This record gives sequence, C-alpha cells and structure tokens, in this order.
Amino acid sequence: MSAISLSLSGVTCRHGSFTAVDRVDLDLAPGDHLALTGTNGSGKSTLLRAVLGLHRAFTGRIAVSGVEAKGGSGWARRRTEVAWIPQRQAAGRFPLLVRELLASSRNAEAAVRAAVDLSVGGLLDRPVASLSGGQLQRAYLARALGQLAAGAGLLLADEPTAALDFDGQAQVARVLAELPMTVVVITHDRVVADVCGRVAEMAAGRLREVR
Amino acid sequence: MNELGVLLDLPSVRLAILALLLGSLSLPVVGVFIVGLDIMPVRFAMMHVALLGIALGFLTGLDPLLCALVLCAVTGGALTPMARSSAGLSGAMGLLMTLAIAAALMLLSVSGVNANGAFELLWGSILATRPFDVAALAVLAGVVPVLYWLRRRDLALLLHDRELALCSGVAVDRLTLILLVIISLAIASAIRLTGALLVDALTLLPALAARRVGGSLAAMIRWSLVFGLAFNVGGFFLALLFDLPPGPTLVLVGGVVTLLIHAVPTYRKGSPQSCASSSASPLSPSSH
Ligand SMILES: Nc1ncnc2c1ncn2[C@@H]1O[C@H](COP(=O)(O)OP(=O)(O)OP(=O)(O)O)[C@@H](O)[C@H]1O
Ligand SMILES: [Mg+2]
Repeated sequence: MSAISLSLSGVTCRHGSFTAVDRVDLDLAPGDHLALTGTNGSGKSTLLRAVLGLHRAFTGRIAVSGVEAKGGSGWARRRTEVAWIPQRQAAGRFPLLVRELLASSRNAEAAVRAAVDLSVGGLLDRPVASLSGGQLQRAYLARALGQLAAGAGLLLADEPTAALDFDGQAQVARVLAELPMTVVVITHDRVVADVCGRVAEMAAGRLREVR
Repeated sequence: MNELGVLLDLPSVRLAILALLLGSLSLPVVGVFIVGLDIMPVRFAMMHVALLGIALGFLTGLDPLLCALVLCAVTGGALTPMARSSAGLSGAMGLLMTLAIAAALMLLSVSGVNANGAFELLWGSILATRPFDVAALAVLAGVVPVLYWLRRRDLALLLHDRELALCSGVAVDRLTLILLVIISLAIASAIRLTGALLVDALTLLPALAARRVGGSLAAMIRWSLVFGLAFNVGGFFLALLFDLPPGPTLVLVGGVVTLLIHAVPTYRKGSPQSCASSSASPLSPSSH
C-alpha cells in the first residue's frame, strides 16, 4: 500500500469526565509528515490512540483513507492500515521474544532487516523484557517498519526517539524523513521535528498548526 | 516392589494413572494461560461457581457435575469483556467468586438441599476417579495442545500485551473468550481429580516452575509439560510406594521442586549487551 490520508474533524477525547483532546481538526494528505509537539499531558498520545481505536471514548470524525472505522472488523482493518510505535512499549508480564515482536508486524523479513539496520539484529532470541529502554524502542521501530512493508500507509510514532542515544536520534530522523508513507510523529526532539514538513503543537487538548 | 505391582493392578490405581497422564497433557498448558492472563484466583472463583452448579443440579434434578461444568464454562466466558478494562480480569475473578458462593448458599438454603452433599462432590480424590472425569480430561488433552499449536503466535502476543495483540491483527476478544472457557472447564474437571484444594498443583505449579526457566511462550509450554508430567507421575508413585495420601504428596513434590527452581539463580535474563552486536546472543534461551 502507498501513503494514505488522515482526516480528523471535531475530535474530542475524554478520560472519564476529563477532556484530554478538545475539538481537534487536522487534514493530512498522503505522504505528509507532521511533527506533533506540545506540553506533557496535552493529549498527544490520546489523540493517536483514538486513531487506532485503542481509546474509544471519543466524539467527532476520524477517517483514514476517507473511511471511518465502525465495529470490530472496521477497527481491525484500521490497525492493518496504520503502523504504530507506542510511547510506552510494553515490557509485558509474559515473555515475548524480539523475533516474535518483529513477526507481529506481518512482514517479519522486512522487520528483521530493519532491526539489523537499527543495530538490534543480534537480539532476536532475547525476551523483550530483557532489553534496555533504547534497544526496546529500536525493536518497536523495526516492527513499525515491518508493518509499513506489509502494507500500512500511515505511521503513528509516539516519541520514537525518547530513549535513543544521539546517533540513534539522527538515524531515526533520517529513516522517518525518507519514508514515502504518511507520518505523524509525536516528538520533543528538534532533530526529528526538523525533518517534518509540517509541525503542530498541542496545549490543553487543543491543536494548532505552527508550520 | 511386589507391593507396588499389586497396587498397579488395581482398577482404581490404573484409572488414576490414566487420569494423571491425560491431565499432564493439558493442565500445565492451562496453567501457563492462567499465569499469562494474570488470573491466579480463577481456581477459587471456579470452585464456587462449581458449587453453584451442583446446587442447581440438585434443584433441577439434572446431573450436578454436568451442571457445574456448564456453568463454569458459561461464567468464565462471560468475563471476557472485563479483560478490556484496565483493572483486567483478576478483580473480576474476586467478584465472581463472592457472588457465586453467595448464590450457591442461597440456592441450597432455599431449596432445602443438604449443603454437605453439595460440598462433598467438590472433594474429589485421585483414587476415586470416575470414567466421566477421565473422559473430560481426555477431551481437554486433545483440545488444549491443539489450540496452543494453532494459535501460538496470537497467544504469545495476547499474553504479553493486549494492545500489541490488538495492533497485530489478533482477534483479541475471541481468543480471550476461548481461553477463559477452556480454563474454566479445565479447572472444573480437575477439581474432581484431586479435590478443589489441590487443583493448583496440576495447573499452576508446572506453569510457575516453567516461567522461571522459559524465556518465551513456546519454551514455557514445553517446560510446563515436562514439569507437569514429572510432578504428577513422581508424586503419585511416591505416594504409592510410601503409602501416603496421593493428593498432598503430589502437591508437595511439585511445590518443593518449584521452590528449588526459583531458588537457583538464573543467568539467562537481563544479560547486559550493547546495541551494536550483530551475532545471536550467546545467552539467548537455549530451549529451541
Ligand atoms: N487512562 C487515563 N485515565 C485518566 N486520565 C488519563 C489517562 N490517560 C491519559 N490521561 C490524562 O489525559 C491527559 C492527556 O494524556 P496524554 O497521554 O494524551 O498526554 P501527552 O500529550 O501524550 O503527554 P506526554 O507528553 O507526557 O506523553 C493527561 O492529563 C493525562 O493525565
Ligand atoms: Mg504521550
């Protein structure tokens, strides 16, 4: 699959009675790269989780490729179209091998190749719980690249360089810049924001485009 | 040894050995599922649901044990939506346990059925194994390993992290439902084998021992089967040899071995290694 569009209109997300995301509008054309910045707790992660259907308490319209997800199969389909790097990668209560994590992308071969490029190719037979923070983040990035190779057309990356060393940050910025797919990357990292054509900022649930 | 030979000729002993062997094929795997879903109190919940089922059976004139089995499966499956909440399933188990025991006592009291009769059905014993119990275990021995084998990729993801599974195309709700039904059925059947108090020995102990030595779901399943077989057969023969009660002997053997395994330091997990390695880790789990 090639790059796909993302369109949010009037999206409001609640955690109980607390409004974490407040009437957000956003239109990304296929291939757009958007850096999403903003203060801690301003609703960035919640917004991305809503796109994936992991946060279902939202109102408004979220369309990927012009389609709103409805029902279990609609969300399941959404999750095959959208690759995701979570902010808090699960170390998990139960052992999972890095190899199995990469295979969950549905293109194990591409994910393993990406893992080698990201210098975690030697850790395939290790349980993910035994990886360092940066190694785990690299493994999740490799998984997302596998998802893109498997056909996902939109990447949602939630602070993908937060745990990385300087070289890692630069490398990930390069990788993101070269992706032909649509990308939304939440980041507090100037290097990563600089390679994105568009920048938006969130504050107290509101989104504002800065560039 | 001659004495042992005589004992082995007894039909009840043979049936017990058959039940334990069949149980070894599925119950340790079920234990791994229980540990993975983080629902260790499930046994208490199912014990009480089974009691409610038995009470229902007495009341309606249907086979009490069959009622218990069906009710366990239904209530176990009904918990599936609770897996979505952040509190997860362990809280749900506590709730189910208290509600079930209250409902059972209410039912027994209202119907005038002798509560002791109902409780007695829960205290099975290995040497009182009936063909029905063996049949139930045989079905589980067929179903559980096959389910694991067909769904091992999805299971590894689900037991590791629900959201990762959701984002990897796993039918999370359906798989959780299947697991809960199977766990409930397995526990209800195993209750008759060892009595409600000793079910843990057949399910949880092999899984807990396996968690210590297995670095992946596949390795844990393999180890749990090895431990389950060793605990069951070892414990039962010790009991026969020294004329001890089989249930407690089995549990003690399993418990002591599990404890010893946890006491031995492990060098496998958390080995320091820099990012820039290109060859497979020499410390990776050996069980492949
Ligand atoms: N499960 C939850 N229950 C209740 N409140 C929540 C939950 N998750 C997030 N919140 C609240 O919603 C708000 C937005 O959280 P979110 O994780 O989206 O912020 P963020 O912009 O990603 O922050 P950060 O930069 O720290 O990652 C925060 O105030 C947070 O406390
Ligand atoms: Mg966040």
